[in-house]
Amino acid sequence: MTTATQSAGGPGTTTSAAPAVIEATHITRVFPMASGQVTAVADISLTIAPGDHLAIRGPSGCGKSTLLHMLGCVDTASSGTLLFNGRDVATLSDRDRSLLRLTQIGFVFQRFFLLPMLTAWENIELPQAESGVGKAERRERTRELLDYVGLGKRAGHRPSELSGGEMQRVAIARALANRPRLLLADEPTGELDRTTGDQIAALLDRVNADGTAMVLVTHDPSLADRCQRVLTMRDGRVESETTR
Amino acid sequence: MRRLLLALALAVATAGSALTQGGPSAGASGAASAADAPPILVARQLAESEQLQVGQIVRMSPHGSGADARSYRIQGIFEPTPDPAKLGTVPRRVRMHLPDLLTATPEGRPAFVESVTVGLRNPADAGAFARDLGSRMPGLSVRPTGDPEAGGPFVVLQRFHLAIAIVTIIAATVFLLALTIMLVEERRATVGVLRLIGLPTGRIIVQLLIEGVLIAGLGALFGLLLAAASERFINLFFQWKYDTVLVFVHVTRDVAARCVAIAVPLGVVSTVTASWLMLRRNGLRLARR
Ligand SMILES: Nc1ncnc2c1ncn2[C@@H]1O[C@H](COP(=O)(O)OP(=O)(O)OP(=O)(O)O)[C@@H](O)[C@H]1O
Ligand SMILES: [Mg+2]
Repeated sequence: MTTATQSAGGPGTTTSAAPAVIEATHITRVFPMASGQVTAVADISLTIAPGDHLAIRGPSGCGKSTLLHMLGCVDTASSGTLLFNGRDVATLSDRDRSLLRLTQIGFVFQRFFLLPMLTAWENIELPQAESGVGKAERRERTRELLDYVGLGKRAGHRPSELSGGEMQRVAIARALANRPRLLLADEPTGELDRTTGDQIAALLDRVNADGTAMVLVTHDPSLADRCQRVLTMRDGRVESETTR
Repeated sequence: MRRLLLALALAVATAGSALTQGGPSAGASGAASAADAPPILVARQLAESEQLQVGQIVRMSPHGSGADARSYRIQGIFEPTPDPAKLGTVPRRVRMHLPDLLTATPEGRPAFVESVTVGLRNPADAGAFARDLGSRMPGLSVRPTGDPEAGGPFVVLQRFHLAIAIVTIIAATVFLLALTIMLVEERRATVGVLRLIGLPTGRIIVQLLIEGVLIAGLGALFGLLLAAASERFINLFFQWKYDTVLVFVHVTRDVAARCVAIAVPLGVVSTVTASWLMLRRNGLRLARR
């Protein structure tokens, strides 16, 4: 396990000497199907530095989610190399890859993916408990995160008792629980109305401003425009990249 | 020979002996003979079906025609040792002293005796006594009642039960596996989310395993409690139906231990199989449903 302790959702410092969070070179993802191979991502090279704020855009089916899953070590590339904190992910065992996700990567999904039987508090506490954080520290961190996402008063509520926006806030707090170096979000506002979506976007901006590198997949131009780098994909390839 | 013969069962397999009830009038008329009428014990079911009571004088004959009948005094009612091979029939049995039996039969000999049950003062002598008697009287089959006869009703029943048990367990295993797969599938979204958060596969299997053991253990306990509770009712019902004291169901400690020893590992194996089948798939695909 790496010792990097990049803070998120709290005061944090980003050392310029730190290695790139992600360094992907010529990664490709091919799905073998009965009807033939589907190339979802073709030969993409990408570097994500600490504190980066990157949006991935493109038409439906162009491979955005597939790329994000590889960056988040949920899926592995068919070819090419992907370094996380300078370590080749392909050489890690399934267990080490899981622990990497648990401690270094936060994931936010369009459909929240909260555990329905747990309260907001328990959902946020779970990844901390699993990575071995002590009880007192866990309690403090969970309280801090709930306040950070503006849900200090909803700690005991289950997902079914929360609105979509509130569920997404809990999901963001859960993703930040172990102070990850990288936060990945796949259409985080996709299920929310305009106003709620803007609130979530503002929250994500704040997470990035507080030092966590972030990669966002979105169809929403206004969400992409908030990012410092915008990658546009087409047919599994990078069509263009703009930096502001 | 030792004085061992205390009681005997006279199997009335001859031409069918006649049993006639003396009744109060018979008792009154034969006051003199009633006093010295030899005592007998009557099987409970026979007493009930013929409405016999202790103290009554009955007349019994070794012949179906009723000839050569003699009077006997009912001294008591006995509960015959239940015989599963004769369930549902009224045991037409009386017990009398051996000299009375010899007197009762023509020329001092019964026409035919099917079996004689010998009660020993010390039941532990049964084996030695059987061997001794068997060697003295060739042609007589002597065996201790504790030994089940090879191919006897109990052995056949036991094999039958074993066959039923094996079929039941195989069917239950298939059912259990299908059920656990369903239960585990039900949790696929949860498991998918846990995988996405970064819980290793082993950690999730252990969690599911703990639940599997718990459920299997509780299931076994529930089954045992159900068996223990229904044991009483099954026995009462069949004892009533066949008018016997035979015990039909008995959950022993051994049976209980065997149940748990089969149920828990079965639960564990099916949970692990079901979890493993699921966890082979990617977390995202699980979470998405
Ligand atoms: N597990 C899979 N098996 C087979 N093909 C897949 C799989 N996942 C994705 N694909 C294919 O890869 C391509 C890219 O899919 P992906 O989900 O990355 O697109 P996307 O850009 O995220 O689309 P959307 O904007 O609609 O979410 C699609 O053609 C899709 O059908
Ligand atoms: Mg997608």
